[in-house]
Amino acid sequence: MSALARLGQRARVRPVRWISALGLETLLGGGAVLLFVLVALAAPLLAPYDPHAFSGQPLERPSAAHPLGTNDAGQDILSELIYGTRISLAVGLGAALGTVALGLLVGAVAGYAGGPVDTLLMRLVDVMLTLPRLPLLILLAAFLGSGLTQTIAIISLLFWPVTARVIRAQVQSQRQRGYVRMARNFGAGPGYVLRRHILPAVAPLIAFGLVAAAGRAVAMEAGLAFLGLGDPTAKSWGLMMRFALNLPGLLLTDRWLWWLVPPGLCITALILALTYLGMGLEVRLQPRLRRR
Amino acid sequence: MSEAFLSVHDLHVHFPKGPAAVRAVDGVSFDLAAGGALAIVGETGSGKTSIGRALLGLHPPGSTWGSIRLAGRELAGLSEEAWRPLRWRRIAMAVQSAGTAFDPVYRIGEQIAEPLREHLGLPSEVAAARVDMLAERVGLEPRHLRAYPHQLSGGEKQRAMLAMALSCEPEVLIVDEPTSGQDVLSRARLIDLLRQVRDEKGLSLILISHDLAAAAQVAERVAVLYAGKLVEVGAARRVLESPRHPYTWGLLNAYPNMTTARDLRGIRGHSPDPSDPPSGCRFHPRCTQAVDLCRQAEPSLVQVGGRLLACHLGGLQTLLQARDLRKAFSSNGQGERVTAVRGASLEVYEGEVVALVGETGSGKTTLGRLLVGLLEADGGHVVFEGQDLAAVDGRSRKALRRRIQFVAQDPFDAISPRLTVAEIVREPLDVQKVGTAAERVEKAHRCLRAVGLEPGPTFLSRRAHELSGGQLQRVAIARALVLDPKLIVADEPVSMLDASEQAKVINLLKEIQNERGMGLLLVSHDLALVRKVADRILVMRQGEIVEGGPANRVVTRAEHPYTSALLQAAPALDWEVGQV
Amino acid sequence: MKSRISAYVVTLWIVLTLNFLLPRLLPGDPLSALLDPESSDYVFDAQVRAALEAYYGLDQPLLAQYGAYLKGIVTGDLGRSIQLNQPVGELIAAHLPWTLLLTGTALTLASLLGLLVGSQAAWKRGSTTDRLLTAASVVAGNAPVYFMGTMLLILLGAELGWLPLAGGRTPFASYSSPLAAAADVLAHLVMPALTLTLSLLGIQFLLVRNNMVGVLGEDFMLVARAKGLRQARLKWNHALRNALLPFVAHLAAHASLAITGAVFIETLFQYPGMGRLIFEAVGARDYPVIQGVFLAVALIVLTANLLADWLNTRLDPRLAEEVGR
Repeated sequence: MSALARLGQRARVRPVRWISALGLETLLGGGAVLLFVLVALAAPLLAPYDPHAFSGQPLERPSAAHPLGTNDAGQDILSELIYGTRISLAVGLGAALGTVALGLLVGAVAGYAGGPVDTLLMRLVDVMLTLPRLPLLILLAAFLGSGLTQTIAIISLLFWPVTARVIRAQVQSQRQRGYVRMARNFGAGPGYVLRRHILPAVAPLIAFGLVAAAGRAVAMEAGLAFLGLGDPTAKSWGLMMRFALNLPGLLLTDRWLWWLVPPGLCITALILALTYLGMGLEVRLQPRLRRR
Repeated sequence: MSEAFLSVHDLHVHFPKGPAAVRAVDGVSFDLAAGGALAIVGETGSGKTSIGRALLGLHPPGSTWGSIRLAGRELAGLSEEAWRPLRWRRIAMAVQSAGTAFDPVYRIGEQIAEPLREHLGLPSEVAAARVDMLAERVGLEPRHLRAYPHQLSGGEKQRAMLAMALSCEPEVLIVDEPTSGQDVLSRARLIDLLRQVRDEKGLSLILISHDLAAAAQVAERVAVLYAGKLVEVGAARRVLESPRHPYTWGLLNAYPNMTTARDLRGIRGHSPDPSDPPSGCRFHPRCTQAVDLCRQAEPSLVQVGGRLLACHLGGLQTLLQARDLRKAFSSNGQGERVTAVRGASLEVYEGEVVALVGETGSGKTTLGRLLVGLLEADGGHVVFEGQDLAAVDGRSRKALRRRIQFVAQDPFDAISPRLTVAEIVREPLDVQKVGTAAERVEKAHRCLRAVGLEPGPTFLSRRAHELSGGQLQRVAIARALVLDPKLIVADEPVSMLDASEQAKVINLLKEIQNERGMGLLLVSHDLALVRKVADRILVMRQGEIVEGGPANRVVTRAEHPYTSALLQAAPALDWEVGQV
Repeated sequence: MKSRISAYVVTLWIVLTLNFLLPRLLPGDPLSALLDPESSDYVFDAQVRAALEAYYGLDQPLLAQYGAYLKGIVTGDLGRSIQLNQPVGELIAAHLPWTLLLTGTALTLASLLGLLVGSQAAWKRGSTTDRLLTAASVVAGNAPVYFMGTMLLILLGAELGWLPLAGGRTPFASYSSPLAAAADVLAHLVMPALTLTLSLLGIQFLLVRNNMVGVLGEDFMLVARAKGLRQARLKWNHALRNALLPFVAHLAAHASLAITGAVFIETLFQYPGMGRLIFEAVGARDYPVIQGVFLAVALIVLTANLLADWLNTRLDPRLAEEVGR
């Protein structure tokens, strides 16, 4: 992510300046996201067991061997939690990329071409925005089957319209600029203009769009898993919650504390981290956009 | 004299913004008589809108202090609740941006009636009747009242804004930038309306604007604001016709209007940063007559000849003053004396361009030389920067020589054919023994660049006959600049050049003059030419100055028949006129 | 307005067609699988199978199927549930009121609170209360609704035992009076509605607050203050009235969000609404029900959109002008 890359670069320059330049939200959010990423990458090192392995008795209480106890199949909950990070991030990133790629494609073409092409594409966007999100998601998930790839594809298909709109607006405004018209005067074709002039202007939007889409994707994936529409073999946080709730009488014991709450907290934390990162980026990117 | 109706004393408005505060208004005092009309003029960022808002107590608490007395009652420091009953009823304001002054979801008529119903508590029918009356007064029709803000034009909204401001019959009406952004017709109508409003008894008017013409037409007194402080206050017409403060003078020069044919001149330098204003007099970095004192201490607003001025030097300086000059020549040894100049008097002020026009033989060239000291007068005095030229001794005279310089008509005559360009330009410095040799070279090069000539080695070694007329005249000007004079007298500087060169050299002189704040006395026969650069025109005939005044006045409303004749005969690109 | 209505009709038609095409276009042909004895989805009950064959008409040409499908929608025939062996239309009619009760309550509460508290926070912007509320709203708006619901369920239902844990009303209960019946429904409604309200409130509070802050900075607010108007009038008649516009503009989107949330909440609380219906249908691969619910929900959202648009033109005089053209 460009924001993180910038963070890395600036770390070598005066520290206090870039703290205020990036903003508290960006730092906290970005930092938390980074933490999750590290956990996901280092999962084999951090998790005490393989989450699929039956490492203990079913429904054990927390102990030294199993800090969060075990689930109803005897698998370690903490390991499930740690590996769950991978699923959430994978889907989050994958869907974010998909959303932005589709949104970029449609938005850039619509914004640049204008005329009937633009009208047609924007009609499509409007229709997609009016459709109720989750029911459509459920419909597609039901028919397409469950699997991580499908989940990523479905989420991308549903979220690209918003990104497309934003990108189209920016492409349109850039197209009016003097230097773009000059380039066309020199004989430049649309490919050159898009690549050289418009894309750099759109880049900050892409960065922000990725973060926003990732947040929504993580929420959606967890939700689908919770409903049982996700990949049953992928140990995602949402799935953990679903299995927990499936246990009869769960609420009457205190098992919910270590089985239900941790994945819920993790989902919330990751979404919040992405949201704050997005908020911080939005504020910092906008004035620069206006200055152009 | 009765106490002023509205009396503002030492008003400050500071907005905190990070470590520094924006000092929008920094110690402003003025009075407004009952029924009077005052215009506060200044540019963007001068603080004028902040003054208006302070008079309604609209600034955040803690940002305003000073005294605001309305009919004897102190208003500064009142709480929000104490302000509320006073607002609109005693003081009302028509704000700057009429376009966004109205709530977009309510009709205009409703919004005008709102203070009547809510603030005065009038029943709806009474309020509605009053609104109809107000609408008629400002020239709005019933359909405007029924409309929503976005359906009205800018001018209509301005008038609606005015109607709304007058609704509770305030004692003081503040109008903030009513004419900005409007087309000329709307503007004219609005000014008429303001004058009508002004004439109503019981209403005192404060007009806040950067539109000087509007200020002159609507207000009887004007206060000029710069960087949060007042610099000149006086009768509107007089201040705007003959300003005494360097800033007011600069402002008028920069104001586009139909009466001045002369090109616009900006004020050099930049507007000050309101959170970090210059030390001492705030205008001093841009003032051409600033001295050390101006940098050190802030001038206070004092009475100077019927106005209030804030200037350590008492306003624009008179650079040159000539009284009753006389000069006669004996022609060809026959004893017959020809009087070239008979009793001429004139002034040149700081930063001014004065043109001396007349036919050949009118005596203008002689007068020019008299002023510089190239010729000795038979009678009268020339006073330059307070010193009588005739009375100075040798030493002082030499120093004086540096301050006044002369540019002659024929450069080939005024410049030695034997010297190189480098030597020509350096000559005055060598004579006056200014600085080291290296410094003189550097100065010469700077002045050459200032006239648009690049001091390369080839050029510097050229001699007079290798240059064109225009180039050589520029060299002559560079030579005149090298001693940093305060006044340049130029005698027909461009009459021997082609038209295109003429334009360039004249513009160059003007530019340098403006940049350095020099006075320029331009002697010329070409009325059409000097019209483009002169602030004042003096017309000379047979040794006497028959007419003198602001350039636009002389050109459009000449008083002396001779001047009219000259104007008639001046070259015009209209083939119908001037059938001589 | 006319152009908007026609746009909605187009969208409705697209929704109908999508609903029709999707199962038929997908790989694996899920519909045929229901009737194929070899597949794992084979429906054993002969009566149900017959009803499915009749409803889907898979042996007929596509266009004929489409025609029959559209006719079915108009007459209210949405097929028959595989799992429950009931007409889909009836099922929807039974479950719809519960969802409407839930989302309606939540949306209304969240809107009112959002407007009241949001405008207050904007008025006192920068204060500690404002900052706390804003932070809380970000969390409430972003936290997954089923997590919040779970926490509430545990706290209020399990630990404290104040409220029933599941369902729309106590099963097999008989009531002494309509009031007692209503009270029972209400008791079961509290937690689901509370959860959904909190989630929506998070988003709506921020929307109202930020819009209002923007409005407060406008020139006409300064003029209104200069006119000597009372604080109450400034706050409600001018500031909030203007902040209402973007709020209403987003209402439709929020209605959509509310339904999304309702699906999760009904599942969690076993609330007998449409969300629960579709959830169970998905589990059982009960395609007619899935399609039926999707259609019903889409219709509700579209109607909400239309209403919000209409409301918007009534509130904002600048829009009414464009419509008149």
